[in-house]
Amino acid sequence: MSAADTNAPKPATPATPTTPQQDSDWWAEFDAAARRPLATRMRYAFIRTYKPVLDDAPYRSFDSMEQYRAWCRDHLPDWLGFGPARDSS
Amino acid sequence: MTTYPTGWASVRRGIRLEMPFEYRQAQEVRDAFAREGVRFLFIGKSGAILLGYPDTTQDADLFVEKTPENGRALVKALRSLGFNLAADQEGEIVHGKDFVQLKNGPFDLDLVFAPDGINSFAEAWARRVEVEGFPVCHLDDIIASKKAANRAKDRESLSRLQSFREYWMAQQRRSRNL
Repeated sequence: MSAADTNAPKPATPATPTTPQQDSDWWAEFDAAARRPLATRMRYAFIRTYKPVLDDAPYRSFDSMEQYRAWCRDHLPDWLGFGPARDSS
Repeated sequence: MTTYPTGWASVRRGIRLEMPFEYRQAQEVRDAFAREGVRFLFIGKSGAILLGYPDTTQDADLFVEKTPENGRALVKALRSLGFNLAADQEGEIVHGKDFVQLKNGPFDLDLVFAPDGINSFAEAWARRVEVEGFPVCHLDDIIASKKAANRAKDRESLSRLQSFREYWMAQQRRSRNL
């Protein structure tokens, strides 16, 4: 398999710049998480909420990731966040 | 795209939403896949969570090597876990889809055979990290796939994930130096 063959290059999503204070706060969160056993972290991490459309079929398959992304863009509500990121500039 | 509807929404709203993915189920995936010899890696936010990233997600994403042999092993493993796969779905998993969403078993799984931003399974496998026996994509691969996917929800969380990458790499260096 070659993902490079099936996935055309896309522009990288730029991350929002962070402040030193933000990084410091996050690292404190990471430290706290690291003190918990994996099973506990997973219990907090995996949640269930109903996602309209997405959760309404027991099985979906797509020939390519492009097809999947296009389906998400065209069928899912924007607020779910599965659509393409838009430049804020 | 292939979809199988048949009134699933009401069933899911009524019953399935109480069943998030848990550690025990991750163990079941790991063990069932090992029994059948499935080559796979946890990827996406679920992979990052296994590496220690504190955040929330709704399902597990598995990067599965795309070969017919691995696909057949995957189908066996999924059925042993309780996923209800029809013959045509089995054929799709064995012979060629790039992305399969399963909500027809004891928990939700996304099977990714060609994730954005990663050249090949072999390369990702070579960089993998083992956490309590769980094979996980390296954080650089998880970040690369999220960048390449370019989804709105990924952009919102990418800064924090990249900060975690720096934290995690520092922890790795520290443990190597002990």
